[in-house]
Amino acid sequence: MWEFLTSQMGISIVLAAVVFGVMQGVVAYAIYFERKIAAWIQDRCGPNRVGPLGLLQPIADGLKFVFKEDVIPGQVDKILFVLAPTIMFIIAFIGLAAIPWGGQWEVGGKLLNIQVANPDIGLLYLLGVGSMGVYGVVLGGWASNNKYSFFGAIRATAQMLSYEIPMGLCIVIVVLTVGSLRLEDIILPQTQYWFGAIPQWNIFLHPLVFLILFITMLAEANRAPFDLAEAEQELVGGFHTEYSALKFGMFFLGEYAHMITASAFISVMFLGGWHLPWLPWAQPEATSLAAVITKMLILGGKVVGFLFLMMWIRWTLPRFRFDQLMRLAWLGLIPMTLGLFMITVGLLYFGLHRNWVWTCGGDAVILALSLLYVAVSRREITGRSPGAGAIGVGAVAG
Amino acid sequence: MTSETAYLLYFAFALGGAGVYFLLPRGAETRPTVGALFGAGSLIALLLVLSTRVITPDHTTYYFYLFSTLAIASAVRVITHPRPVYSALYFILVVVSVAALLVLLEAEFLAVAAIIVYAGAIMVTYLFVIMLAQQSSTPHYDSRSREPLLAVMIGFILMAAIATRAADITTSHTATNQSRPHAASPVMLVTDSATDESLAGNDKAKPVGNTLLVAASIMTRYVVVLEIAGVLLLVSMVGAIALSRKRVPMEGYRPAVTPLGQIGKEVEPF
Repeated sequence: MWEFLTSQMGISIVLAAVVFGVMQGVVAYAIYFERKIAAWIQDRCGPNRVGPLGLLQPIADGLKFVFKEDVIPGQVDKILFVLAPTIMFIIAFIGLAAIPWGGQWEVGGKLLNIQVANPDIGLLYLLGVGSMGVYGVVLGGWASNNKYSFFGAIRATAQMLSYEIPMGLCIVIVVLTVGSLRLEDIILPQTQYWFGAIPQWNIFLHPLVFLILFITMLAEANRAPFDLAEAEQELVGGFHTEYSALKFGMFFLGEYAHMITASAFISVMFLGGWHLPWLPWAQPEATSLAAVITKMLILGGKVVGFLFLMMWIRWTLPRFRFDQLMRLAWLGLIPMTLGLFMITVGLLYFGLHRNWVWTCGGDAVILALSLLYVAVSRREITGRSPGAGAIGVGAVAG
Repeated sequence: MTSETAYLLYFAFALGGAGVYFLLPRGAETRPTVGALFGAGSLIALLLVLSTRVITPDHTTYYFYLFSTLAIASAVRVITHPRPVYSALYFILVVVSVAALLVLLEAEFLAVAAIIVYAGAIMVTYLFVIMLAQQSSTPHYDSRSREPLLAVMIGFILMAAIATRAADITTSHTATNQSRPHAASPVMLVTDSATDESLAGNDKAKPVGNTLLVAASIMTRYVVVLEIAGVLLLVSMVGAIALSRKRVPMEGYRPAVTPLGQIGKEVEPF
């Protein structure tokens, strides 16, 4: 038994089960966390009736999801109506398989990857899984046979298709900087130091790319200020208007699991994953069990940090209007990331792609150029311009 | 290839053609059970052909059978389902099964690229258009196939020809050359030009990755094809933009003049 558990196959199976199980709990408590943060920001108490500090609230919510009547309205497309939340749930969770949770564990003379799967193309896998995620929303909205659900689904599709482009370009920039698509290999160069003190995390190489990637992640996860697919004031509940009980719960869990995957992903890409400077247990050479657990906790901490940031943003910023959202993607982020991409390719040609003076300089140039464009072009920043609708729907449907 | 296998292959395709013919939507004349029976018979005949060719079965063989059956069955459903949305979804299933087959061939890069490009981008757009075009019921002219017999005959004769020819080629390959016909030059190219220089501080010898091999072969052997494809995409993009642009009369055009430093100030709050 121990033999099997300490083989790569065994560790993958155990880790898959553990990650799946733990994530359900984490997701449930992420909802509690979100409600507490919302309360904190709005100067309220938040959930505090069920258990001490309201800590049993997620369990009560889960029970409610299970025991409520599961209504399937008469006019819906039954197969797709049931399939949609399932797809959402599965897609949100299988992305976690490629995340490197804890570096390597040396046991019995072997080095085991603390990762469910370590494919050569881990990054592309995450990108592919993420691009499939839109189906849950689209099918749910369409199968409901309800105008509001359908509008929510259309908004979600247009938004995800648009924001996938800058996201892909940001990822390409990181790949060019690091030179690999394997997530472990993306972490390894980040564990080195400049001047023996500052870790070479990619965020210090490309702060602007980090910012843009974070924005597109928010949009991909349908989080505020990009949550137009479920804008309550306009669309009742958006794509999940007709869903109740456990199916609604699965949409909910899927959204939070997507947030966790995105946070882990961006931590690996830009914040060195499980790496923490100067802590000996968080270095790639440390392969004991204690080191593995420390690394897992570090990555978990980074994920929680990002979750907090996302929630903070949600309860602080108002929602975009749809034409603003589309203009931000097509006229803002895509030209910027294209420029950053070209600069990175140029630096790669001269071998300067890991020199932070040059990469940060490139980021600053792009930022300055885009701000200059905004100032010189004298576009109205807010307000509905006459041709705004054409950018919104025409660009995607074309 | 022996003539018996060839005839078995032809038999499989004849059965498959009959199955697809009965499955194609023709209103009340559709015979789904008959079609499914013929289709199952065709799949069994194909399996018999394949089983003569497997030399050493291992666990990936069973995955191959699973995913290829899934791919064929859902491909048939793509063309036989009366509702376009379901056809699009079955096509996604085809793409995912083919990606699984590519993973079995250790071509992970191609697999994920197929999923990202087809399932993630193209089919989402298709689904979008289909859903916008028809929300509830499918019109009569869209839910019936027009020339089922002719279409099935042409399609399956072409498929039988290609399949027997392809089977011939691979048999001669395995007969003459036991090793797998891997592209030799990219491997040498990659190992020549110090692969992992960019992975600074990582002295361990790394296995050459899938992505590197694909990149090397695209950038050396198939570079002309790549550039032609790039030009083609550019042309189609320019064409799409030219087609979708609205003609706006010039006299009504009024550029927004806002003095620098007052951007957004005189905009009415809504």
